[in-house]
Amino acid sequence: MYRYDEWDQRLVDERVAQFRDQVARRLSGELSEEEFKPLRLLNGLYLQLHSYMLRVAIPYGVLSSRQLEALAHIARHYDRGYGHFTTRQNIQFHWVRLEETPDILAELAKVGMHAIQTSGNSLRNTTADQYAGVAADEIADPRVYAELIRQWSTLHPEFSFLPRKFKIAVSGAARDRAAVKTHDIGLYVRRDQAGELGFEVLVGGGQGRTPMLAKTVRKFLPEADLLSYLEAILRVYNELGRRDNLFKARIKILVHELGLEKFTELVEAEWAAISTGALRLPRDEIARIRAQFAPPPYEAIAIPVASLEAARRKDPAFARWLRHNTAAHARPGYAIVNVSLKAVGEVPGDIGADAMEALAGLAERLSFGELRVTHEQNLVLPHVKASELYALWQALVPLGLASANVGLASDIIACPGLDYCSLANARSIPVAQRIAERVAALGREEEIGELRIKISGCINACGHHHVGHIGLLGVDKQGEEFYQMTLGGHAEEDASLGAIIGPAFSSADVVDAVERVIATYLGLRHPGERFIEAYRRLGPEPFKERLYAAH
Amino acid sequence: MSLEIVTANRLRDGRAVYLGESGWSENLQAAQVAGSAAAAKALLAAAEANAAANAVVAPYLIEVADEGDRLVPQRLRERIREQGPTVAAGARPPVREVA
Repeated sequence: MYRYDEWDQRLVDERVAQFRDQVARRLSGELSEEEFKPLRLLNGLYLQLHSYMLRVAIPYGVLSSRQLEALAHIARHYDRGYGHFTTRQNIQFHWVRLEETPDILAELAKVGMHAIQTSGNSLRNTTADQYAGVAADEIADPRVYAELIRQWSTLHPEFSFLPRKFKIAVSGAARDRAAVKTHDIGLYVRRDQAGELGFEVLVGGGQGRTPMLAKTVRKFLPEADLLSYLEAILRVYNELGRRDNLFKARIKILVHELGLEKFTELVEAEWAAISTGALRLPRDEIARIRAQFAPPPYEAIAIPVASLEAARRKDPAFARWLRHNTAAHARPGYAIVNVSLKAVGEVPGDIGADAMEALAGLAERLSFGELRVTHEQNLVLPHVKASELYALWQALVPLGLASANVGLASDIIACPGLDYCSLANARSIPVAQRIAERVAALGREEEIGELRIKISGCINACGHHHVGHIGLLGVDKQGEEFYQMTLGGHAEEDASLGAIIGPAFSSADVVDAVERVIATYLGLRHPGERFIEAYRRLGPEPFKERLYAAH
Repeated sequence: MSLEIVTANRLRDGRAVYLGESGWSENLQAAQVAGSAAAAKALLAAAEANAAANAVVAPYLIEVADEGDRLVPQRLRERIREQGPTVAAGARPPVREVA
């Protein structure tokens, strides 16, 4: 894992002192709310329905055991005993007090964490594939580049007041697990014909009111040019992005209005002026960062591992968990473990302080002290020996963290919605809970197979509904909660945006509607055909017919 | 004219509070009710003075219905602000098997 150097540590320590002073001045009345609001937003502090909410950055979703223990401590002492992992691989605390926020930031700084640039019109936390460095299908470790971007973008003086927030995602693998095409800038690590590393650069993705998938502006950008090229894109956006209209301020609108060709031309012209300057990455600097992500001291393990095979045969519940919650590791004899935060009936992405501490202990013992956060609101133990999987599973069961549902219908992304969020029009969490309960009652989740259901409580689309196989958007119709359904969205390398299937469903009807979509799929799919494949073959008509036939 | 009360978030901790005869309270039932446009305007003006004095943030009027024994906010958003999230959070029971 990357370890803070003295510069990183000084920066977060100074920010704690600075924010402590700003909070004191706000409480004394020296600063008005109007003056204070942009300052608190620079530190991830929102005012929500019930309380202040603090969003803590988890750079590219990588957490140490020690950091998770610190988050548990914060949850217990400054919040109501739990935290909420988000689709940006961050964690939110929903019940913090303004007067205690500087103390929370001080606790975070002790473990190399902060809340800088987790809100406001800034370069946000760069996200990455949660399997970075361990995925069997990886070209190169995206954490190296995400860390370089973190260092470049943190308190970047030129980009502190962008037209709107700005999100970057990096994937280094063949399969896109980071929803790269839904980001303002998306980076796919590629190799050129000579075998040199670089990136396919995509720009202009985003969800919200006007969903768009990012478009390729460069097929191959050499590794050394990463930061100068990003700087060129940001400069074009900073100069030409719309500041007159909040709804048109994201870079996707600029790319759309200028056209991809013109936009690319402007970026290339800007880049030509700066590409040989200070931002060009020396090989030894890349190597220095790469060394920070050196693999842990794995053991040489002969496969297959007999004890694992025996446990798999003996215990069907464990076998199911293995099928859905583990992934192929680059090293023989090791596995990537997904820890589901989607127990049926629970709040997607929530985890209590006790469970956080227990999981930190398990990561310390069984995963070289490391965890990851996924954009799908689950956690990952990235380096577990195959021979330890059964013991790990047995430890996760009593913690409520062993739901064998990753990638299945009850593994639902849901934003906090109207239960917490001041922007929401409708609740997301109870709908997710009811769908998960219905799916469980049907008893066919494995048979249904991969199905991505994503729910947002408003058009800002924090719940990624536009790229859900089944997407649900909460709307307010004369004071009643309704849910608009989209079908056919997908967040991976073959991404697509969902299409609205018809009139919205009432809260009372929405779970039945989801069940009808699932039943339609099961009735029409070819053997082995996933939901998204079947939808792409069939189109919306059979689903529409089944959904609205009775109306 | 519907009934209105004033709500805001308390500056120190962000909690939802309501303006009553004896100041700001987390108890909506203690809120002072305005039954006319003029009364609502006066109530909001008093609240805004409190905001300027840094007790609360961003006060605004909400509609309530008097159901005899209690005041009930008309909008779901405000009912959730009063009563808290409609979902239990954080405490995870042992996993229930999904068949």
